[in-house]
Amino acid sequence: MIASMMTAILLATSAGLASDSDARLTVTIEGLAPQGAVMMALYADEANWNGGEAIEGRRVEVSGSTVSVEFASLPSGTYAIRYFHDVDGDGELDTNLMGIPSEPFGFSNNARGNFGPASWADSAFSVAPGGNAHALHLD
Amino acid sequence: MEMNRRHMLSLLAAGGSAVALPGLAFGDTSVDPVFAAFEAASRDDPWTLGFTDAPAEGLQATARRLHGRIPAGLSGVLHRNGPARFSRNDWRYRHWFDGDGMVHAWRLDRGSDVTHTARFVQTRKWQAEQAAGRFLYPAFGSQPPNGRGLHGPDDINAANTSVMMVNGELMALWEGGSAWRMDPDTLDSRGPRNWGEGLGGLPFSAHPKVDPDGTIWNFGQAASHDMLVMYRIGVDGQLRQADIIHDIPGGMIHDFAVTDRSLVFLVGNLAFRRMQMPFLDSFGWDDSRGMRVIAIDKGDWSRRRTWELPPGFLFHVGGAWEDPDGTIHVDAALSDTAEVATGHARDVMLGTPRLEHQSLSRMRQITLYPDGRAEQAVFTDLCAEFPQVDPRYTGLARRFTWHVGWPDGHLRGATQLVQRDVISGQTRRYDFGADIVVEEPLFVPSSERSEEGEGWLVHTALNKAARATELHVFDAQRLEDGPVTSWRLPYACPLGFHGCWRDI
Repeated sequence: MIASMMTAILLATSAGLASDSDARLTVTIEGLAPQGAVMMALYADEANWNGGEAIEGRRVEVSGSTVSVEFASLPSGTYAIRYFHDVDGDGELDTNLMGIPSEPFGFSNNARGNFGPASWADSAFSVAPGGNAHALHLD
Repeated sequence: MEMNRRHMLSLLAAGGSAVALPGLAFGDTSVDPVFAAFEAASRDDPWTLGFTDAPAEGLQATARRLHGRIPAGLSGVLHRNGPARFSRNDWRYRHWFDGDGMVHAWRLDRGSDVTHTARFVQTRKWQAEQAAGRFLYPAFGSQPPNGRGLHGPDDINAANTSVMMVNGELMALWEGGSAWRMDPDTLDSRGPRNWGEGLGGLPFSAHPKVDPDGTIWNFGQAASHDMLVMYRIGVDGQLRQADIIHDIPGGMIHDFAVTDRSLVFLVGNLAFRRMQMPFLDSFGWDDSRGMRVIAIDKGDWSRRRTWELPPGFLFHVGGAWEDPDGTIHVDAALSDTAEVATGHARDVMLGTPRLEHQSLSRMRQITLYPDGRAEQAVFTDLCAEFPQVDPRYTGLARRFTWHVGWPDGHLRGATQLVQRDVISGQTRRYDFGADIVVEEPLFVPSSERSEEGEGWLVHTALNKAARATELHVFDAQRLEDGPVTSWRLPYACPLGFHGCWRDI
């Protein structure tokens, strides 16, 4: 569920990073309106993607049309991202009365879901040892 | 308005990715069998004109007068809406209801020729797919190849079901997402209507009801969560009240009725089971219970009464009224199965209707008693759809429903126009014969003070022999005399669903 991304971010912790953290990840998002913040959650496996917890969460202020989000120390491996643009800066993914998000949101690989969040298979990408860049566009 | 985040997503809920359906995965080079079947059928059967793509730039013409004159006092615009774009890039939708909405304006004015203008609603879906040259999104009953995912229901809003005027603005209505605002004179699209905080992108169904004082009532359904959103809108077009109503069974609800005190929902047995793509596949027939009827108190939405009828399916309700003791009377076009939605509406995309999918909906007059008993009289004389009432009698005791009709076994749309006395069941009719497909008739009163039923019926029809769309006007109380005037366009339009009348 997309709203669980919000909870996941709030619950996300930077503790417990493995000692073999050999990779850096820089995620850029284009297509933003210059206000509010981007809230991003990073997942490391399918089980947690489908209702568990993110391994890391980030909040980055938006002052231009692009933001860059850094994960400085990760084990190389497979990851997936959920994010939303917290346009009004209240820290929550706003929804309408039926729970449909009313703030822009997206997934890694620019994946989209159908009547739900994008799947792990569509969103997962590889992070190799060393520097990694992942470019996303919010539309 | 407090946002309720406990309730995840109507359409966006129940996660998971798209279910790949066998037979729908075509490579770029292979022929789409549905597209090919329709092309073949359209060479022989002029009924397929009703499901043929309209030109993207729209339509405009002056109609040719066949006979008669526009009656004095009948001056206005008949707006209609219906699906009109079914294929792109040689790939055809699988379901009639998926086509993009085209809104029509037929201008009637005594002393002038009837004119016709039609334009596609410029939804986000239309604009993106027009630019791409192919369908990009899953639709209600179709899953185009290489489709994109969704951010919300308005990504696939086809705005193709009905139209209504709200405080001088025309709205193109769908039932899974927002009403789409339009300029009634130019038919320019203005974008989705957001009724207020927390209401953006919510479903707004295609059959709003207007009380005699101008108050507009409507609902939107989230069948996956057994809930509705209810709207009360003032005559100024501003929202007065909106809220979620829970525990409404997830049978597909297309229409409802109002009395002076109640909002009446008939919940058919085509029920939500589990989220699947395309969305229609989420529904299945469930007759383990009867058809539920729920009356919600207009003044206190937490108060309700319920009844149960034999299992059934419906799209459209005629009208309702309520006695002083709380007895509710409502008529509807009901059938025993949902074949029309799950079978016939797919057959028309192939261009060949099948007998086992025929619509056998019939008008029924239902009485809902305060002690929980429910009775219904079934008018078995002919099949019926698109019931309409004198709009001045919405929610009030009345005598008449007008509807289209056709004999059992006729598979290619309605052939008759019918006035029915809802108490006695007696009818007055005009039978156009099998060359004509009769579309929804609207009642227009001859004056504000005229008696119920004193006025005209205005409707469009596809003339298969002439390969052209026509407009007919009847004296609403003398249907058997035939149309008082008839007009014909130089082209055929795709068959539409619903319209509204705008006085000028």
